[in-house]
Amino acid sequence: MTKKLFLMLALMMLASTVLCAQTPGGAVAAPFFSNGVAMAIASGLCGLAQGKAIASAVEGMARNPGAAGAIQLAMLIGLAFIESLALYTLLIVFRS
Amino acid sequence: MPESELWITRIFNDYLAGLGNSALRLAGVPPQPRPWADFVVMQIVVVLLLMLVFAILRRRLSADRPGGLQHTFEMVYEFVLGQANDLVGHDGSRFVPYFGTIFIFILTCNLIGLIPAFASPTGNPSVTCGCAIATFLYYNLMGVQAHGFKYILHFMGPKWWLAILMFPIEIVSHLARPLSLTIRLYANMFAGEQVTMVFLRMTYFLVPVVFMGLHVFVGVVQAYIFMLLTMSYVGGSVAHEH
Repeated sequence: MTKKLFLMLALMMLASTVLCAQTPGGAVAAPFFSNGVAMAIASGLCGLAQGKAIASAVEGMARNPGAAGAIQLAMLIGLAFIESLALYTLLIVFRS
Repeated sequence: MPESELWITRIFNDYLAGLGNSALRLAGVPPQPRPWADFVVMQIVVVLLLMLVFAILRRRLSADRPGGLQHTFEMVYEFVLGQANDLVGHDGSRFVPYFGTIFIFILTCNLIGLIPAFASPTGNPSVTCGCAIATFLYYNLMGVQAHGFKYILHFMGPKWWLAILMFPIEIVSHLARPLSLTIRLYANMFAGEQVTMVFLRMTYFLVPVVFMGLHVFVGVVQAYIFMLLTMSYVGGSVAHEH
């Protein structure tokens, strides 16, 4: 499963290299494409990480309903940290 | 194309340009036609607003019949004190003035941007960098105050022969702290603004309100995270291992 994912990612990057090589003066679309890919990767990984965090938080709350308040607080803080990582990429997109 | 200004910034630039230029001259910057920037004026507005609120609070403090304002700020104080005791140790109350100030200042800066005619000063990287540098200087100074010159041993690692390797690693990781504080707060506020603008461009009515609500939540959480990290750094630097 992971090997297929990495193979697909490598093929996609190879394809993008080939595509960029075909348009020597076509630098117009390049920023949009690279920004889109960067943001997609950042948001995708952020989604995975937040999903993991929420999954363990919800499981903890299900096992120990008394600690739900503390777990919820820790979950929100964790989500904010992970969200910030995706926002660093958004900053690059908006500043270029 | 001249950048648009807030109405307060326009007032400052029209009448107090001389004052702004003298302040810039102290920093060695040549005089400019409109020296006051949005984020500088907004920070002054935030500071004056907070001073006004606390002056009113002080006037209304009472042990017998506390009012709503006193209850609110007692809640805030207990929250900050509780967190400080958790993260810094039993003498965390010594640092509560700085933690409380940074929390309330950043919270007000984040939220004031949602009022229509104002802008968030924390949407500018200079402001967040200032807060981060203040925090960096504060936790190092508190470390030196607690340990004296032996504070430098914190950077040396557990064994003396690891010091040559540990020292650069620790320096870089300590320098990464204000960088991450700056970028985290700036990116969250900037992204919140931009996302609201993007949706305002696409759907002209009511949908951006959802994003402004999210921005309120994000503003509160980011102010809390800044304070939490400050406490964690202070706790790390004043910790007495023995």
